Amino acid sequence: MEIDIISFGKISEFIKNQRVDITGISDTDALKIYLEKTFPEISQMKYKLALNENLIQQNTQISGNDLVAIMPPFSGG
Amino acid sequence: MATERYHRQVILHGFGETAQLLLSKARVLVIGAGGIGCPALQYLAAAGVGCIGIADDDTVALSNLHRQVLFNTEDIDKPKVRIAKKRLEKMNPEIEIISHPVRLERAHIIALLKDYDYVLDGTDNFESRYLINDACVLLGKPLIFAAVSGFEGQLAIFNVADKQGQRCNYRDIFPIPPQPGEIAGCAENGVLGVLPGIIGTMAAAETIKLITGIGRPLINQLLQYNLLSQDQYKMNISPGDDYAIAQNEDDFLKMTDPVFCALEVGYTEIDAEQLLSLQKQSTIIVDVRERHELPILNEQIYKKAPMTEFPTFLDSDIEEENMVFICQHGIRSILAAQAAQEKYGTSKNIYSLIGGIANWKNYFLEATK
Repeated sequence: MEIDIISFGKISEFIKNQRVDITGISDTDALKIYLEKTFPEISQMKYKLALNENLIQQNTQISGNDLVAIMPPFSGG
Repeated sequence: MATERYHRQVILHGFGETAQLLLSKARVLVIGAGGIGCPALQYLAAAGVGCIGIADDDTVALSNLHRQVLFNTEDIDKPKVRIAKKRLEKMNPEIEIISHPVRLERAHIIALLKDYDYVLDGTDNFESRYLINDACVLLGKPLIFAAVSGFEGQLAIFNVADKQGQRCNYRDIFPIPPQPGEIAGCAENGVLGVLPGIIGTMAAAETIKLITGIGRPLINQLLQYNLLSQDQYKMNISPGDDYAIAQNEDDFLKMTDPVFCALEVGYTEIDAEQLLSLQKQSTIIVDVRERHELPILNEQIYKKAPMTEFPTFLDSDIEEENMVFICQHGIRSILAAQAAQEKYGTSKNIYSLIGGIANWKNYFLEATK
């Protein structure tokens, strides 16, 4: 199963926008584990996921061709 | 009321006298007269928002001028709120501008916010942003949130009920503030002046839409804007359940974010001189840069513990009484000091080298020999 990942801010420095094969991963909890293992930098950071433009607040099923966004908080003004 | 000043917006289909009247009756507090605050203030004042408050305790610096467009070179060292008030009053003498030359603190933020109907947050640090968010939740004040990082911006409206009656706030997205040093601000990271200009202007637009009820303001939505690609990404926010916000003023006054109080009591930032004198005592110096970063320091003197491997380091036993963390610019070392402080509390003295190795090049060039 392939999904698209987009990222923002500092996270985009190490997770480029990309299409990834996540065969074996079926929900956002598992995806988080996969992302933190593949990109250890984010395990040290505050970030949030959105699935198909909806903020993820609890574990949610992922389907092929879904769009997952990864964003950190910004504070600059 | 129907002045020539607002003629071009009053004749807009869907705006008209009614919307203009709503603007003239609105009271908006803009917090932070910086890169976001300046353009937001200009457009809110020009559009005829009846009463605008400006809260900022800073003075104008030369390095502000490329993005803080209300200020001139001759304003350097003068209080921002005073200059901003003067400029805006000249621009539109028909409205009221109130200056609040204060840094918002827990003790007085509630009293300040009570006088306003809308709050626009253009501050430059997480501590202020969480304080403003929590105060707005307590008071039920609509909050227009605008922030930048690198070439990107974030924009959202909090504490306004959507059609389902749902109200979200900043903690629904990010329940806990990042550690100091985790996310670099404009001072460390740099910012192209026009970016906060765009985001601040968009924040003013959202404020005007919210006041007048036109269009679809970003209620319970977060907009991500990228200056380099002009890409915009909008996501829907829903309530989270992993945080608590004070429900009354007494609790609010007692509330603290562990991240920020640790800042007050935890570790000490030191310079190379102090580092030198600590080296004569029972001290471990820890280099938290990644292994590829230059200059490579002598690992006999500077224990290597890259941030990506930091939890392993924290699990190991440390005998020394003093711990000094160093990195390239003194930002990651704060994060490390913070984490060490969480583990050791006051049982060890914890330090971070201010400005990092880059700031004390001569000292470290000597040390690598």
